[in-house]
Amino acid sequence: MHATNQLRVHGFVDLFGLALGASLGMIGFGDFAELNAMFTLQDLRMLFTFMGAVAVAGALFYTFTKDRPKGPPIHRGIVPGAVLFGTGWAISGGCPSIPIVQLGTGYLPALMTMAGIATGMRAYRKLNARYSHFDTGACSI
Amino acid sequence: MHWHSVRSPFYHLLVGRRFGVSSAWERVVHWKVARETERSDQTLTAAPDDFQAALMAATQSQFGASGGGVAVSSPPRSGGGEHSPTTNSTPYDRQCHSLVTILLGAFGAALINGRFKIAGDMGPAFADIVVDGPLLWPNLFVGGVLVGIGTRMAGGCSSGHGMSGCSRLQPVSLVATSVFFGTAVAVSSLLLWVI
Repeated sequence: MHATNQLRVHGFVDLFGLALGASLGMIGFGDFAELNAMFTLQDLRMLFTFMGAVAVAGALFYTFTKDRPKGPPIHRGIVPGAVLFGTGWAISGGCPSIPIVQLGTGYLPALMTMAGIATGMRAYRKLNARYSHFDTGACSI
Repeated sequence: MHWHSVRSPFYHLLVGRRFGVSSAWERVVHWKVARETERSDQTLTAAPDDFQAALMAATQSQFGASGGGVAVSSPPRSGGGEHSPTTNSTPYDRQCHSLVTILLGAFGAALINGRFKIAGDMGPAFADIVVDGPLLWPNLFVGGVLVGIGTRMAGGCSSGHGMSGCSRLQPVSLVATSVFFGTAVAVSSLLLWVI
């Protein structure tokens, strides 16, 4: 990618981060009551919001792309990893972006969730290198 | 003008690598590794001819001056492969920026809608459904550890798999999202049933 365009992308990433944090906070993803209401299927508003965002992103992607990048293959780490993630999300109320949103909203204990995420990632790198050897194909910009 | 030829930032974000907050976390947490990788990448891409010459020299020293007809491939370019966990077009310091901007965005939104309030707990719902008191912080830490391990093991989180991957109908993301969402539903329902 050209350097100038890369700078633009970086600036856009910053704007995207601001928009993501603001929208997640406004939607209520940082509020454990709202999150639990979604997970216990008592209030599906946030789920519908999420599905709407996926639909919009999908429509844009399929409208504007011809050569669509393939995703990583399904690997052995998907199911156990997703089970651990889902459990952690349910008991802490935080997927990786949500504790940041919670902290921005004033919930100081979210710092502990963030410390846990950092610790878990460091532990996983060592455990994976030593035992599991999953090639997960990380997503990122 | 074809939309596909427009190399705008929006276009790059739309069709490039999947956006993942867990990946930004990963690169910030392992910033030393990310920094070394980026430096190596820059060295290789800055002088591809030198790299190729060095490879050829090493090949010839191993297999003889004729090289045995071995062809030396060009050095890898960053950002070229979505599957590679090591290549990335956004440096770790920018990934750190993205996490900080999420914080600022949430802070701004909380100020605007009047939700901002410094709190030493996670709210009454968390206390009722999960845990309260001295066990709150250990519980959050354990939950965070599970999220950290799980998102790396699965190769993405609710943004990478859930948003980007599902919107592109990638099978790996559809499977991951179904499993982590289904698990969260089961665990949350169990917590609610227990109380």
